[in-house]
Amino acid sequence: MGEIRTWVVESLAMVRDFAVFMRRALRAQMRPPPFGELVRHASDAGVGSVLLVTVLITFTGMGLTVQGYSAFAKFGGEDMLGAFVGIGGVRELYPVMAGIIVGARIGANLAANLATMQISEQVEALEVMGVDPMHYLVAPRLWAVTLMVPVLCAYAIAIGLGASYFAAVAQLDLNGGTFIDQLRANVQWSDLAAGVLKGLVFGWLVACIACFHGYSAKKRDGAEGVGIATNRSIVQAAVACIVFNMIMSAIMYI
Amino acid sequence: MSNPLVRAIETIGAVFRFTLQLGRCILTGPRYLRETIRVMELLARRCLVPVGLAVAPVAGVIALQGVQAFREYGVEGLLSSMLATSILRQYSPTLASIMVAAQAGSSIAARIGTMKVRGQIDALAVMSVDPLRYVVVPGLIACMIVTPLLNVIATFLGIVSGWFFAVPVAGINDGAFFDNLYSQVSPLDLWIGMGKCAFYGAGVGLIAGYVGMATSGGAAGVGRAANRTVVYTIILILVADFVIGTLLLNQGL
Repeated sequence: MGEIRTWVVESLAMVRDFAVFMRRALRAQMRPPPFGELVRHASDAGVGSVLLVTVLITFTGMGLTVQGYSAFAKFGGEDMLGAFVGIGGVRELYPVMAGIIVGARIGANLAANLATMQISEQVEALEVMGVDPMHYLVAPRLWAVTLMVPVLCAYAIAIGLGASYFAAVAQLDLNGGTFIDQLRANVQWSDLAAGVLKGLVFGWLVACIACFHGYSAKKRDGAEGVGIATNRSIVQAAVACIVFNMIMSAIMYI
Repeated sequence: MSNPLVRAIETIGAVFRFTLQLGRCILTGPRYLRETIRVMELLARRCLVPVGLAVAPVAGVIALQGVQAFREYGVEGLLSSMLATSILRQYSPTLASIMVAAQAGSSIAARIGTMKVRGQIDALAVMSVDPLRYVVVPGLIACMIVTPLLNVIATFLGIVSGWFFAVPVAGINDGAFFDNLYSQVSPLDLWIGMGKCAFYGAGVGLIAGYVGMATSGGAAGVGRAANRTVVYTIILILVADFVIGTLLLNQGL
């Protein structure tokens, strides 16, 4: 019981620290961020993730289609595959996978980066020079990731649909026309908009979690602190994406 | 050295040699069983909450979206069989492994990386304790055993969460849900899922060990190692998942 109590107390303390951090970060985010830093981080987060998202979503889409086919073929519902990919892929799986991947790549990168700065006293050096680290370090990162993840989500949906079509027609020999008709009947442009909106939320969550863990790394932990910050930010970003995906789906589609 | 093709081939060779070395370490003694059990216990405790939190919401979403789609065709009763199939065969093994990669993979890589940059790995070697046997192999074995066990819990939580969103929330008949739950799945599906998880878990332990042992460059290097491990393992899991899915389909399973 004592262990659970410590865990609860530590978790509550972390939530409190997160709230304090977010208040400072949001205040810094409201001022126009340094433009050069913003562009640098946006290009790193956006362009740097394109290849990874392409490869992973291609395999996710093809995997989803193949698995869906093997489930539907059992009761002769192969023609429902388009609907399955449309609803399961476009509305749910592609945006959330994009969020998880980006969280693992960009989020962990941000956390490791900020934690390294924190333990090598670069953040304090900034403060000594009269530069607000929240404004100079955290705000551009928050803006860059929040703006880039929705774009990556829209891109992931496009790539995923292409991969599903390819798997259905080329690998499973289904009728391409039926597949497209099924897709058209079940997916609207509003679903793409919903995916972009989800991306906006995922991006902001990933950025906030990563910056919080990176920024609160303790100097006395040294290299270990960087590892802890990276680990926590990856796990919590992934869980946050999945949980918020469910909440947003429940609000938007029910 | 700067030629990317040459470097890629070099890396593949190094990973292959690393795998063979680990294989030899597992087959021959000395083995550090106490350390292995300690790591297993740690991983199981740390991964339980993330894995559960990842699979249960996804099952809820499948149930909610599925109810709408199946209602149009008037076959709501079949929802539970689709739910059971997709969770047992696909979502639970994949998501559980991804969360194990995120939690266990990054923490193992960060731990090995920290030991490496602090010179503790060299210290172990000086004390004639093989760092591969004492540090890498326990992580590999622990991931391989813990991931399938977590998958079972995740599958159970997923079905419970799917039931919650389908029956009390969306108003599907409770009897119809349970009648169709087992119509498309067999114990074989659970075994396939566990086999996949053991394979992915081994991948997590292997990649975390390799990337961790290759860490250089101080604190920043530790962060890079944890980050890279997760990215590489997610790539491995998703690509392998597609390949295994295709193979199973061709085998008619």
